[in-house]
Amino acid sequence: MSTLLQILSPDFLLRDALVASVIVGLICPLVGVYFVLRRMVFLGVALPQVSAAGIAFSFFTYGLVVGPHEPYQLSERVVAMIGSFSFTLAATLMLAFFERRRETVEARIGTTYALAAAATILFLAKDPHGEAQMVHLLKGDMLATTGTSLTWMAVILGGLAFAVFAFRKELLLVSFDRDLAVVFGKRAGLWDLVLYLLIGVVISLGVMTAGPMATFGFLVIPPVTMRLLAGRMLTFSLGSAALGAVTAFAGFYCAYRFDLPLGPAEVALAGAGLGLVAATLVVRRALGGWHSS
Amino acid sequence: MNGALIELEDVSLGYDGRPVIEHVSFSIDRGEFTALVGPNGAGKTTLLRGLLGLIPVLAGKIEDHFDRAVSPPGYVPQREVLDSIFPLSVMEVVLMGTYARLPPLWPVSARLRRLAAECLDQVGLTSLAKRPFWALSGGQRQRVLIARALAVEPRIMLLDEPTAGVDHEAEEAITGLITRLNRDQGLTVVLVTHHLDRIRSRVQSAVQVDDGQAIKQPLHTIRVPEAQAAGSRERTQTG
Repeated sequence: MSTLLQILSPDFLLRDALVASVIVGLICPLVGVYFVLRRMVFLGVALPQVSAAGIAFSFFTYGLVVGPHEPYQLSERVVAMIGSFSFTLAATLMLAFFERRRETVEARIGTTYALAAAATILFLAKDPHGEAQMVHLLKGDMLATTGTSLTWMAVILGGLAFAVFAFRKELLLVSFDRDLAVVFGKRAGLWDLVLYLLIGVVISLGVMTAGPMATFGFLVIPPVTMRLLAGRMLTFSLGSAALGAVTAFAGFYCAYRFDLPLGPAEVALAGAGLGLVAATLVVRRALGGWHSS
Repeated sequence: MNGALIELEDVSLGYDGRPVIEHVSFSIDRGEFTALVGPNGAGKTTLLRGLLGLIPVLAGKIEDHFDRAVSPPGYVPQREVLDSIFPLSVMEVVLMGTYARLPPLWPVSARLRRLAAECLDQVGLTSLAKRPFWALSGGQRQRVLIARALAVEPRIMLLDEPTAGVDHEAEEAITGLITRLNRDQGLTVVLVTHHLDRIRSRVQSAVQVDDGQAIKQPLHTIRVPEAQAAGSRERTQTG
């Protein structure tokens, strides 16, 4: 209880990190619902890795052109953000372009993942200054969150959440019944692009803040959990976001209380929540079947 | 009849530049109930998709005598093309029909919500408004999709095999509903079907699609092959 009070105190040393963690937990599932609904979950594995490759590439290029980058400085985060976003967006657009050719989708995503992982290591091998910092970023450099970076993140992700909410009609229509969207004269390709841009921004910021593993976890696990519970789209979206935020907070608490790495603690908790919900539903169904038989 | 609503002049339709049907010329009148019939793979759905504007016209011209921007067609797809992973209530599905004329950032107004409720009432499913769409039977889902198409407030409704895979009772309910919409509201209807024998008394015209051609013919000249009719009856009875 004292740990909880300590975390909730306004003077808590890691307050910015806690807020950043909860924001990532809140926003990632909002976009993640479309990963799940459009059956693009495998894309969620590959893209954070591509984002990491983008960060490694930007550090490598910065080292070549300008010189060694300054650890923990805003300029370094900007460089990382540019690399992460451009790589993620390019890969998202490329993979999304082939989204409808289902027969080779796993092969394409698997190849992308392998190439991105290899590229990350190769770029780092040629950038000794970036390696240590990169390791922090890949693990999720949540503790390095500063007031300035938190403000930027809140503004960008807040805008993104607004966009997801404001354009929910269009995003739902092109995702659920693309033909109907075309019949209605909607520019389905444009709305796909909007969705992919939103995905690119969330993954880029998520990876830099929480690391690839936690980002993927928050993109997918809360929506998959809520899918078992929700019967309406609005409940599904808002419930996924709320579940992500609660999981992020609980994960932070556990990591702080038991001295655990933050990202894995959050993902493990999200997984436990999914297991609990699934098991409850299985038992309920079994009991329902037993009662009716 | 009250003049043509859609006219096709020497139209070719297909995919990737390769025509599936060619030199198609016919018109659909206002208030007409037309069936697109023919064997599997003949190009019925291709013709329907062409009428909807979902695939480009490879040659010729399709002319609409209505403004699609003001009143888009009501479209009822085969329900198998929709993914059951989407957690949608019945009302959420019907409300999608109202998105046709809503610009981005524009919320669904109270008037449009009332319209959606009225459309659901027309198909007799008001009591199921809050139920999950995927919890309904195949026939009920089809009626919900018809309600969604009605929420567009269309001049013309195009349906792709709306009775495929449903039992006889549901088939009667669906065809009866479509007939009422056509007869009582003057809604123009184009319907793809394998079962002309079952709706022959309800439709006013039929387009026979076969062998790369689509020809509008008087109903009495179109014969459904006995084997096909028997086969379709068998599939329906087991489905």
